[in-house]
Amino acid sequence: MIETQGLGKTYGRGLYALRDLTLKVDKGEFVFLTGPSGAGKSTLLRLLLLQERPTEGDVIVGGRNLARLTRNEVQAYRRTVGFVFQDFKLITTKTIFENVSFALRVLGQPIEQQRRRTYQVLKWVGLQHRLNAFPEELSGGEQQRVAIARALVNEPHLILADEPTGNLDPDLSLEIMNLFRDINASGTTVVVATHDRELIKWVGRRVVQLEHGRLAGAEAAS
Amino acid sequence: MNSVGYAFEEAWVSLKRAGRSAAISVGTIAIAFVALGGFLLISVNVQRTIDGWLQSAELSVYLTDEATDEDRAALERYLQAQPVVVSVEYISKQRALERFRTDFPELTDVAASLADNPFPGSLEVRLRPGSAAADQADELETSVSGRPGVADVRYDRKWLERLLALVAGGRIAGAIVAGILMLGAAFTVAAVVRLSLHTRRDEIDIMQLVGAPFSFIRGPSVVEGLLIGGAGATLALILVWVLYVLLGRTLGTEATAMVGIGGMRFLGWSQTFLMLGSGLGVGAAAGALASRAVK
Repeated sequence: MIETQGLGKTYGRGLYALRDLTLKVDKGEFVFLTGPSGAGKSTLLRLLLLQERPTEGDVIVGGRNLARLTRNEVQAYRRTVGFVFQDFKLITTKTIFENVSFALRVLGQPIEQQRRRTYQVLKWVGLQHRLNAFPEELSGGEQQRVAIARALVNEPHLILADEPTGNLDPDLSLEIMNLFRDINASGTTVVVATHDRELIKWVGRRVVQLEHGRLAGAEAAS
Repeated sequence: MNSVGYAFEEAWVSLKRAGRSAAISVGTIAIAFVALGGFLLISVNVQRTIDGWLQSAELSVYLTDEATDEDRAALERYLQAQPVVVSVEYISKQRALERFRTDFPELTDVAASLADNPFPGSLEVRLRPGSAAADQADELETSVSGRPGVADVRYDRKWLERLLALVAGGRIAGAIVAGILMLGAAFTVAAVVRLSLHTRRDEIDIMQLVGAPFSFIRGPSVVEGLLIGGAGATLALILVWVLYVLLGRTLGTEATAMVGIGGMRFLGWSQTFLMLGSGLGVGAAAGALASRAVK
């Protein structure tokens, strides 16, 4: 599903965020990216979401070399990827329902389909009773569930989550991780960046450790 | 919902949110287009007047006081034989004086104080309209000048053509001024659109992340510019119409009749559509330019 070869990202004059990173994530896999702050976790996710371009090496997702995509192809690629951020990135002026259906609306999907699918995913994350609430009226955990619903609404092949539990207490974090496990169980590849070792241990999946922009730990040794 | 419907909906919300800055932008566009419309209004009416004058252009052949009846008759025969000539009318010295008294009654005393009638007799020659006839009239002017009994020949078309050249120059100058004003207006529209892009930043970020097509991302900005430009041009058309009514009242029917224009006319459909189209075009272009900030 994901393959990086000699991937590097430099900011400014020689400030490496990622260096010579070669990594493979299989289709349907659940992978944690971990490491201390500044290790390169978020940078790798931004490269996978094409918010930035690598300065060296290749990123191949679903057989496509992301470095070679045109602007329109980038947009088409992003339709196959769901994203979840620590700060939820919800539109405060829109209701929960609108926030989720927005992802379908801007893809030009028919209204009936938007409504049906939005209700379906909001029900799946357990928020069918808060459809008309605004983000600020929800708890952090609920807001993150809305963000997950929005990531899922377009039925992506890949979910990328950057510190999705960073703003949540331990109980809510477990709840969110359960959702990711369920998403993965349905065949979607999930990559979660977190520095929460307890959570990683609790979920018990493959861990890719980064340090100073390089692979570290067991992955590096293999 | 398609991208067009979405773009209109979002642009409308954005304009309502922008409020005063959008109104200022519409006003700026309107000012630029009032200049364009006013210039078009004056240009169209001046052109129409000159065209009217050109259609009725005359060749005036002034006779010497010594010209005999035979000289005049020979001249009339010669003129009537020319294909470019429609009619020839003799205006005697006495009739020329009477005309002066009728046309300029306030100068009657001056005319009465003269011992002799200073006005020459003349032949007023109506010419066929059209550019081909103009060349023949030029030749006729030259050939008539040297004939016996002729003191002077005046051909209206020459000064009308000089006037036309002046109008053409004015038109270019007006177009340049209108162009500069429109450019300024376009920058104002672009600034307003940039402002609303900033307001919608979170929404745009998410649209980019979910892979929305660029038509969805940039469409609202283009439509926002389009609406501002269209509203500005419409407002300008209303203001130009007010200007037209006021000018018509100020000039009055007598003044317009005296110069033979038969009253002013408002912009035709083509000029109206030109203004509206330019407003929409300038606005949309400014919106599109501003939306290029979204990468």
